[in-house]
Amino acid sequence: MAAVKGDALFTPERLRLIAAAIVVLNGFFPAAWILLTSFKPEVELVQKPITYLPHDFTLQNYVQVFRQQPLALYIANSAIVAAASTVLTLTVSACAAYAIARLRLRYRDLILSAIIASSTFPLVTLLVPIFETMRALGILNTYPALVLPYVVLSLPVCTLVLVSFFQSIPRDLENAAMIDGATRFGALWRVVIPLAAPGVFTAGILAFVNSWDEFLLALSLNSAVRMRTLPVGVALYQGEFTFPWHIISAALIVAIVPIAVLIALFQERVVGGLTAGGMKG
Amino acid sequence: MTTLLASTKDAPPRPRVARLLERLADPSERVQAILLLAPAALLLGLIVVYPIAKLVYNSFFDLRLSGGQRAPFVAFDNYQSALTDSQFWNALWNTALFTIITVIGALIIGLALALLANLPFRRKWPVRLALLLPWAMPLAFAGLIFAWFFNTDYGVVNDWLMRIGLAPRQWLLSPGTAFAAVCIAIIWKSSSFIGLILLAGLQMIPRSLYEAAEVDGATRFQQFREITLPLLAPSMIVALIFRTITALQTFDIPYTMTKGGPARATETLAMLIHSTTIDYGDIGYGSTLAVLMFIVSMAVTALYLRRIQRD
Repeated sequence: MAAVKGDALFTPERLRLIAAAIVVLNGFFPAAWILLTSFKPEVELVQKPITYLPHDFTLQNYVQVFRQQPLALYIANSAIVAAASTVLTLTVSACAAYAIARLRLRYRDLILSAIIASSTFPLVTLLVPIFETMRALGILNTYPALVLPYVVLSLPVCTLVLVSFFQSIPRDLENAAMIDGATRFGALWRVVIPLAAPGVFTAGILAFVNSWDEFLLALSLNSAVRMRTLPVGVALYQGEFTFPWHIISAALIVAIVPIAVLIALFQERVVGGLTAGGMKG
Repeated sequence: MTTLLASTKDAPPRPRVARLLERLADPSERVQAILLLAPAALLLGLIVVYPIAKLVYNSFFDLRLSGGQRAPFVAFDNYQSALTDSQFWNALWNTALFTIITVIGALIIGLALALLANLPFRRKWPVRLALLLPWAMPLAFAGLIFAWFFNTDYGVVNDWLMRIGLAPRQWLLSPGTAFAAVCIAIIWKSSSFIGLILLAGLQMIPRSLYEAAEVDGATRFQQFREITLPLLAPSMIVALIFRTITALQTFDIPYTMTKGGPARATETLAMLIHSTTIDYGDIGYGSTLAVLMFIVSMAVTALYLRRIQRD
């Protein structure tokens, strides 16, 4: 017993627990701290020494954030832009990926490399001409102004993920469908897409997160208050005298929860998609 | 199948119009491929190719006057002013420093996270979610959260410093500490993505290699140096390239944490381009800055790609 007790301080079990605690603390602490902040009344945030757990627990900040700021509008804008660009990205990249994975194509490798290479272009350098293009098209401060560049933003990774999924589906299934009278597009829609559903789903999550998180273009192209997306809307909150941290923290939690739930539900898909996109790139 | 082929072979020759209609209804594989690739090509043309051309074109004009007059062609004047513009050099220097520090920092922290997360846990999801959450969070939010951490009066970082007996600092209010704080925020945000990529790489290393090394009496550290690191190298290079490309574009975190201040100490090239063009409307000069940045980042990408091809 005594001998075991001597070693017991660093059992493999405990070391693993410590390791897990470090990773979990690193990942969750910032969000957890903001969550605690959001439950504190404004006066508690400006007193010293600072409190860790809220002394005066309140939900007032959450009420205020919807009343004082058009947070609901920002959420709606973000949701519309992210949903529209996700659907469009999936459509465009599924078409491209199918052509690359399945059809006889002369410059297959070149086309795939070109799509991947486009993801290494620094988007910020294209900010000016994209801004001018959108102004020329008269669509600054509209949803399409963001949806179009966001499709391009997610196109490379989604195409990569879908190409590898399409390649894993046996050709015979499509051929069978085409012999039964389906056109190639019919076979793509009715046979290939349903079978590649997990891949489509993974690509969809990546596209959604990309759009939900994007800041620079949203800030530059859709600067009107009624068109702001969540990150821009929250970052540009102005207090009368100081930055209203009690309101900001509540807004941050409201904005982070949807994306956190999404990735919590589909963790394995997201990890798979990220690493597939990363490995090949 | 044979009957199908036979029937088409026996069919009498049809007039040209009918054949054309038939081709439209069931286009050849080549036409199909072109149709399927067209939307992607169109979008890339509109959002990437045309803007690059327009960018280079703009950089040769003085586009400050937004009236009806034609913008004067100024050849390389914009480039000349950029090379003598202290704000440009300051932003370039900051961007380079941010890139070097945060790429190395995120690689080290990411590797540590991956090694810790690769231990055989009974429940895998808390650790995986802890790696995913920073990745999924908008950069702008990470900036806001860390700005609150580093708040001089009510931030948790100064509280920690005081608890261990150190003097609190005016983190975001003085140049050096503001730079450090922004670096910490960027490293936190980006190390989880690197951690995820490296974790996937670690999981592909066969267990048998470690078992064999253990039989041969290799220590843990030797195993790490002789097996883990070399076999992880490809994943590390991929992570490094992705991270460097995004680090060169650093915008969101310094913008939300410090707005580039104090005294432009945390202003990056991306921020300078944004303020020059969007805030001050100097499209010509902003385009020039963008072209210069484009050249820098393409050079870095090319350097890496050559490195990979050699390996």
